[in-house]
Amino acid sequence: MDITLIVDFFPKLISYLHITLLILVAAVAIGLVIGVVIALIRIYKVPGFNQLALIYISFMRGTPILIQLFLIYFGLPTLLALVHIDVSRANPLLFVAITYGLSCGASFAEIIRGAVNGVEKGQTEAAYSIGMNEKQMMVRIILPQALVMAFPNFANSVIGSLKDTSLAFTIGVMDMVGRGNTLIASSLHALEVYITLSIIYYGVVICLEKGFSLSEKKLQRFEGSLAVDTK
Amino acid sequence: MIQLRNIQKSFGNQLVLKGIDLTVNKGEVVSILGPSGSGKTTLLRCINFLERPNEGQVIVDDFKVNSKQANKKEILTLRKKTAMVFQQYNLFKHKTVIENVMEGLIIVQKQPKETARKLAMEVIEKVGLTEKANAYPVQLSGGQQQRVGIARALALNPEVILLDEPTSALDPELVFEVLEVIKRIADEGITMIIVTHEVSFAKDVSDYIVFMDQGEVVEEGIPTVIFNNPKEERTKRFFKRINREEDNLESNLTNAI
Ligand SMILES: Nc1ncnc2c1ncn2[C@@H]1O[C@H](COP(=O)(O)OP(=O)(O)OP(=O)(O)O)[C@@H](O)[C@H]1O
Ligand SMILES: [Mg+2]
Repeated sequence: MDITLIVDFFPKLISYLHITLLILVAAVAIGLVIGVVIALIRIYKVPGFNQLALIYISFMRGTPILIQLFLIYFGLPTLLALVHIDVSRANPLLFVAITYGLSCGASFAEIIRGAVNGVEKGQTEAAYSIGMNEKQMMVRIILPQALVMAFPNFANSVIGSLKDTSLAFTIGVMDMVGRGNTLIASSLHALEVYITLSIIYYGVVICLEKGFSLSEKKLQRFEGSLAVDTK
Repeated sequence: MIQLRNIQKSFGNQLVLKGIDLTVNKGEVVSILGPSGSGKTTLLRCINFLERPNEGQVIVDDFKVNSKQANKKEILTLRKKTAMVFQQYNLFKHKTVIENVMEGLIIVQKQPKETARKLAMEVIEKVGLTEKANAYPVQLSGGQQQRVGIARALALNPEVILLDEPTSALDPELVFEVLEVIKRIADEGITMIIVTHEVSFAKDVSDYIVFMDQGEVVEEGIPTVIFNNPKEERTKRFFKRINREEDNLESNLTNAI
């Protein structure tokens, strides 16, 4: 093993970090929208949609992300071709964003639903007792508390997704791993490339964790443990 | 004026309220007493339809809600005319004291923010928590939280405030401050229906006492009559037991000292 190679590879690989982060941000954004919608469908048991939501969640849970990625990559163009939309030349990043978005959406939905159910019943009753309607109660009282409670699970899920993005290269996305593969091909030093990659991923995860735990403290100030004295 | 007519409520096949009639005049304080499980909480929750009665009518002023036909809009209107103070306070945890009090003013009554803030501060002052206006519920003692609960209800200027055992979750040394606040707003002529186990407080604050047992009103009347000359056997037994418990408590205390 050649340590100097790691130093050499590091800037080459990290210059593709933004692609990885882009995938992550897109996935989380799509996932949040899907997650909230699916969670609400599940909470209100919207007839018909509830069953679809259940199938969607259990499918996303029950299949590997790699298979989902291929399903979307090959399946979506075939589906869209039926309605005469040609996506065969679309950027593979698009398929990656959709796949990871769908995957995040499923886990976020369950996290949000759990958190909403976890909000004390008394909060709902207090909201109704002051004359709020269902929507005001949900938007003003329940969701804000639920999202804060959901935050730690949410953060875990995001970190999981970050690691999942390392599979994006399989459909030809040039992210850090994609670039790593080209480096391996040209240098024939696979181990050094993977060591460098692991260092970068680990570093990013550590930063994310730090950031999440700081925001968590901010968010949960009303939960007690960190009650700041206000006077 | 609040009127309940023939309020019936069952859970499954257990009839918990067996047709309750009650009239509360404007400015009156009515206390509901009765043994555990007699349906006091359920009755209170039927008044603002947190629990929908199976039968009967709730009338607040001229606004009449039939339990059977009531639609969402009527229930909302009814709730806007009432407010509730909960045994477990149920303050909005993610909001500060002043935000708790302002929430209904802004979101439900659509008052401008500044008006709401001013009104909220006045009410918060009334319950003696001006210093805590920007604290979160978790930073307050139980007694302080309950005073916020009262402020939240009071700010809405409802036709009636419903209080369900407002002090029974509190440590004994915090009961007094809450009862004092309730007494003060009672003296201001706010209409209240209070479920309580604090007999001496009920005696002191109420214009009218309702004694319930097993889903029925057993006896009702002005405090002096109900407490000094109850007619019904069940009422007598209830007070006897309560007195004995209080005596026990006192002798325990004396023994302890
Ligand atoms: N949501 C519910 N589902 C089923 N049964 C209920 C429900 N709420 C109350 N009950 C039953 O209705 C009866 C009356 O209950 P309620 O809480 O109104 O009594 P209470 O007079 O307030 O008693 P306590 O003094 O202990 O608070 C009880 O037998 C109780 O078990
Ligand atoms: Mg009760």
